[in-house]
Amino acid sequence: MSQVGTEVGSVLDQIAARQPRMVLTVEGHELPVTNLEKILWPGSGRSRPLTKRDLLRYLARVSPWLLPHLAGRPMFATRYPDGVTGKSFYQKHWDNPPEFATTVTIYSSHTEGDSEYLICDNLPTLLWLGQMGGLELHPWFSRIDPTPDASGRTRRFSGSEAALKKSVLNYPDFVVFDLDPYQYSGREGKGEEPELHRKAFKRTRDLALRIRELLGRLGLEIFVKTSGRTGLHLYLPILRKFDYDAVRGIAETIGRHALQEWPREVTLEWSVKRRTGKIFFDYNQNARGKSLASILCPRRHPLGTVSMPVEWEQLERIYPTDFTIRTVPEILEDRGDPWAGILTAKQDLAELLEQRTAG
Amino acid sequence: MPRAIWSGSISFGMVSIPVKLFGATESRDIRFHLLHATCGTKLQQRRWCPTDETDVPWNETARGYEYSKGEYVILTDEDFERLPLPSKHTIELSAFVEEREIDPTFYERSYYLEPGERAEKPYALLFRALEKKGLSAIASVTIRKKEQLCILRPHEGTIILETLYYPDEIRLERGVDLGSVKVSDRELEMAFTLIDILRKPFDPGEYRDHYREALAELIEAKLEGKQVVKAPPARETKVLDLADALRRSVEAAKKGAKPKPAARERTRPARRRTRKVG
Repeated sequence: MSQVGTEVGSVLDQIAARQPRMVLTVEGHELPVTNLEKILWPGSGRSRPLTKRDLLRYLARVSPWLLPHLAGRPMFATRYPDGVTGKSFYQKHWDNPPEFATTVTIYSSHTEGDSEYLICDNLPTLLWLGQMGGLELHPWFSRIDPTPDASGRTRRFSGSEAALKKSVLNYPDFVVFDLDPYQYSGREGKGEEPELHRKAFKRTRDLALRIRELLGRLGLEIFVKTSGRTGLHLYLPILRKFDYDAVRGIAETIGRHALQEWPREVTLEWSVKRRTGKIFFDYNQNARGKSLASILCPRRHPLGTVSMPVEWEQLERIYPTDFTIRTVPEILEDRGDPWAGILTAKQDLAELLEQRTAG
Repeated sequence: MPRAIWSGSISFGMVSIPVKLFGATESRDIRFHLLHATCGTKLQQRRWCPTDETDVPWNETARGYEYSKGEYVILTDEDFERLPLPSKHTIELSAFVEEREIDPTFYERSYYLEPGERAEKPYALLFRALEKKGLSAIASVTIRKKEQLCILRPHEGTIILETLYYPDEIRLERGVDLGSVKVSDRELEMAFTLIDILRKPFDPGEYRDHYREALAELIEAKLEGKQVVKAPPARETKVLDLADALRRSVEAAKKGAKPKPAARERTRPARRRTRKVG
């Protein structure tokens, strides 16, 4: 993809200047960026540290592939203002977003009132999130646009829980699974999560392939991406005929089935202690307002790894650290996004289940 | 290290030593769940009110003391808070005794006492003084709403707190009276010989729970067996099972059946945050 003369190309040219702070002009908007030399990822071994300038450059370069996956989805971000080794916090609500950012008012049962949620649907907003150290982008699995497969659902998200439950935001596009290995390398400190290592990743990959095969026998095609940390994320795109409660039930049923099939690989345990040695099959994110780290989103790993969509045929050849904010833009420019068609590959779970009954 | 179950301080004359308590023992039994034998569903324990004919959430429960049959007096959390117990946050040492003066029947549970922040020095001082003197301290401590008698004894670099039963918690009535039984010297000699043969130092490493090990093997074998019988035709049925299960879950959702409460509880964001990051 040529970036000469495009908006992305212009941003890359501007960021290339050596100043630690500047005001970017993006799509006609002014966006001040600061501390561009700040190290966000420490690097490891021969890999040099990555700065905020590297992050902004990355976000700009992958934006043509990333933005379509964020479109129409309320989101929150995990911010690491001092880099991945520093403190982090979730930001869900945005009181004074810049004028170029799209927001949507949604009822929140936690605050028992309406709140503003951000939707990242343009380049300036994406770069603004990068400027704030918003490394991890967490879009909802449902979106505000009812076309084409949920026409007739309302777009009233505020006022009450009942209104929100009736709205299109209560109908997710995906059933999602987070496969998270709890096999420790032995190098972790007390109470730390397991770190990435070959053995655990291989087991996770084998389990993902089995799940793909299982669902394939039902006629369902599921998508896979690296989580960017230790595990894999699986997304099953579905027509929006089921609300979150039903989707959660479907996901839980598949989880329990996987547990019965592979009891020594799979765990559904909530207690971390009891997960040890197995792969946590997490279906709990299938709920309104919950999320997994977005496709192409950078994660908390010293090398700046990214959650990368993968072709099933490639899965046995890849390792999560192959995909960092340094390597991913070129891979995308070469091969494109294996998930580009995910929203047109939606499957009709309702019809499939009815057919089975009839047959 | 597990979480401290209690924190406060040891009070000893003019000295106060911040400490934390950790359980020193844990039961390693293999736990089973009670299922409905015909369908394999885990049975729920329900708090059922027969008067209102409804399930009762925790926040609607109260603790009642039955002072006469069917008559209760209710005690609230505030009532418990107001009880005059100095031992809630302090372990007050009241006497020093030799450990062997205490009969093992009194021992209830063992806890490790660890020094709180910047309390290593006074803690070490107390430890060494007890060790050198060969003494243990008698004290009181309130753990989980109960004031307990306890002793603090030095053991391999740590002070161990053993809770003790109160004398009135130990049953005195016994079924035997050996006073009238006659035993000859020869019989006693024989018993001595037998004992001497098996006399050796106590090595806890030699003793294992054979029952638990056998049970773990049995469970493993069952899981193993499950994998072995999984022949290709059986798999196909499994997949059909899944389709059936999915259909049932979708139908349940259509009827407006709520997802299981236990499953819902597990998605609380606050807990998730501490456990994992996506």
